[in-house]
Amino acid sequence: MTVVVGYLAGKSGIASLHLAAAAARTLRTSLTVATIVPKPWTYPSPARVDAEYAAWADQLAADSAREAQRELESMGQPVEVSFHSHSHRSVSGGLVQVLEELDADLLVLGSSASGQLGQVVVGSTADRLLHSSPVPVAIAPRGYRGPRGGTLTRITCGYPGTPESIEVVGRVTALARRLDVPLRIITFAVRGRTMYPPEVGLHAEDSILAAWESQAAEMLARLRTDGVVGDDVVLQVVSGNGWDQAIDDAEWQDGEILALGTSPRGGIAHVFLGSRGTKILRVSPVPVLVLPG
Amino acid sequence: MTAPITLPEQMLRRRPVIGAPVAHGASENLKRSIGVFQLTMFGVGATVGTGIFFVLSQAVPKAGPSVIVSFMIAGLAAGLAAICYAELASAVPVSGSTYSYAYTTLGEVVAMGVAACLLLEYGVSTAAVAVGWSQYVDKLLDNFLGFRLPAGLAAAPWDAEPGIVNLPAMFLVGLCALLLIRGASESAKVNTVMVIIKLGVLVMFAVIAFTAFDTDRFAEFAPFGVAGVGAAAGTIFFSYIGLDAVSTAGDEVKDPQRTMPRAIIAALITVTTVYLLVAVAAIGAQNWPEFDDQKAGLATILDNVTGAQYWGTVLAAGAVISIFSVTLVTLYGQTRILFAMGRDGLLPSMFAKVDPRSMTPVNNTIVVAIVVALMAGFVPLDYLADLVSIGTLTAFIVVAVAVILLRRREPDLPRGFRVPGYPVTPVLAIIACAYILFSLRWYTWLAFALWVSVALTFYFIWGRHHSALNRPASARPGSPVPGVEVIHPPQDVP
Repeated sequence: MTVVVGYLAGKSGIASLHLAAAAARTLRTSLTVATIVPKPWTYPSPARVDAEYAAWADQLAADSAREAQRELESMGQPVEVSFHSHSHRSVSGGLVQVLEELDADLLVLGSSASGQLGQVVVGSTADRLLHSSPVPVAIAPRGYRGPRGGTLTRITCGYPGTPESIEVVGRVTALARRLDVPLRIITFAVRGRTMYPPEVGLHAEDSILAAWESQAAEMLARLRTDGVVGDDVVLQVVSGNGWDQAIDDAEWQDGEILALGTSPRGGIAHVFLGSRGTKILRVSPVPVLVLPG
Repeated sequence: MTAPITLPEQMLRRRPVIGAPVAHGASENLKRSIGVFQLTMFGVGATVGTGIFFVLSQAVPKAGPSVIVSFMIAGLAAGLAAICYAELASAVPVSGSTYSYAYTTLGEVVAMGVAACLLLEYGVSTAAVAVGWSQYVDKLLDNFLGFRLPAGLAAAPWDAEPGIVNLPAMFLVGLCALLLIRGASESAKVNTVMVIIKLGVLVMFAVIAFTAFDTDRFAEFAPFGVAGVGAAAGTIFFSYIGLDAVSTAGDEVKDPQRTMPRAIIAALITVTTVYLLVAVAAIGAQNWPEFDDQKAGLATILDNVTGAQYWGTVLAAGAVISIFSVTLVTLYGQTRILFAMGRDGLLPSMFAKVDPRSMTPVNNTIVVAIVVALMAGFVPLDYLADLVSIGTLTAFIVVAVAVILLRRREPDLPRGFRVPGYPVTPVLAIIACAYILFSLRWYTWLAFALWVSVALTFYFIWGRHHSALNRPASARPGSPVPGVEVIHPPQDVP
């Protein structure tokens, strides 16, 4: 049982290390820094390029471990760390193998460097892992520096109200119990855009929003009466004019993470997170935890 | 338990203003930001495109060149009604349609009757507009690709040239429904662009058609006399629907007492001028009997006048784009009216159910789209247009009556906008609308009477037992659920 964080010297930022350390401390388990390096050519070659290549890969792994160690030490709070390097044709494939070998609890990744500071951006490796990881994947926003207290303080679960997502709520509830942190369940309500010219007034969408808010509140209350969540769980409907405003209104704690389910239906071709999940991810101010389908 | 109420009490009970969906920020501190120009754009955008592209083929055979007078009569009635509409909208602090105003001022049974009219004004007009669209799409395909749909698939079975089904019209309704389900909307900017496209192609039409102008074509000015003028006004009224879009925006208008009448009059003058230009140019360019059942009328006239397809193609393209946007907006209006009725309990609650995935009323939109698509596919345009007119005229009369009733019953009610020239204006509005109403054909009346009685029967059998007003305020939709916190964005404070 361990938290695995994918790290490569010079490539990924240190946000993922901060999140992984906090997660490991909260779970009271060890942290494994995994570096996936390219797989060397196994045939002997006359000019010994294969040996050079292997040496370069080893160097990369060693650099990554050293850098990660320096960062983790500078955080101050102790956590049991091991370093692991693995060679594989693809980073995502290698990480999946590491997860399976170590029987990991959680995989932590950073955001793509192409995003803005504070934003959760799924890079190409993370995108593939969201489809293939056997364990939940946490993605840190760019520039994330971990909670002040050193541990995670609350999990918020996004509940869209579809029948499939009840199962996700159940799994997040179990996770919150293991982490021993409070749980909050939010259903977001986003107002539709006003239609022009206003043939039925400029506020038609407000009544749709109001109806969805009460519908969502009833569904959340049903989670409690059906015994999916306990009495200590905070249930909220948070509305806004757009996804960014709604997520802003939710008032996030330092050390909070947002858990989202995935839409398993539709097979491989189906976009993994769904359009709504992708929108939430993009504006989330806290790390996002994606549960496998 | 309170004592059971009598039937008349039930029929005349009014929805309290509290508890009605009051919009976020629809309070005093809302920034009133809409000015005359934007408001005029709303009016012109909602009006032009509903009818003018195809109404001439229906109206000119009824009145001949005197259709010009019909345009003025219909415009006058629509303008007067829009002014009354503005007062009612400003006096009733709920937002929405005539249905909401009627429910809060005139009572449940009137609201149900108005709702039946609005189904014609929005639902049937969506179907009519979609049929008009299909003509221009066919024209555009023909001009561009030399390809015409088989006649059987582009006309309704009871049309003058009978077909099997009007497939393009049904396709358009389906497409718009899909967009609405996905939560698409038209922004204020797109609306302004649409207005420019519509006015642009119509003015282009008038300019080109005037090159073939021949005063002799007006020689026989009113072949069917006053009766013909009235009958044509009934059909033409259809092309003025949407002017009330100005009035519904009242609660976000800067200085409504000043802005409102200016915007209504500006929109009315713009629309009427363009319509008259188009009508005069068209009649000047083509002998009036030739209008009878001409498909994609304006584009065909341009083809005949110029002897080339170029201008007709431009007009058809403009019509296809702008009629599409009109269909989207009207279909949207219909779904939102039914949504309000579902919330009030006068329709089954499925109409007020929001889909978790798209956060739009999906079931509602699908039902509306199916009904509208069937009408668009199987009912000829002139029947649809007359039904729209009769429904809208009746709704407008109700609005004018409501203005008078409310002034007598609650003279001190604060009104953001008061009708100038009261009581003459609302009375004139009623007379103008009634004049057009009585010139409509008997079978339009029959269909209308049947439809309203169906709606009222539904109310007496089902609606009055399920009305949200039967329940105590705490059990109505929108009441808080214990244990669940609802967080709203902070209201914008100036």
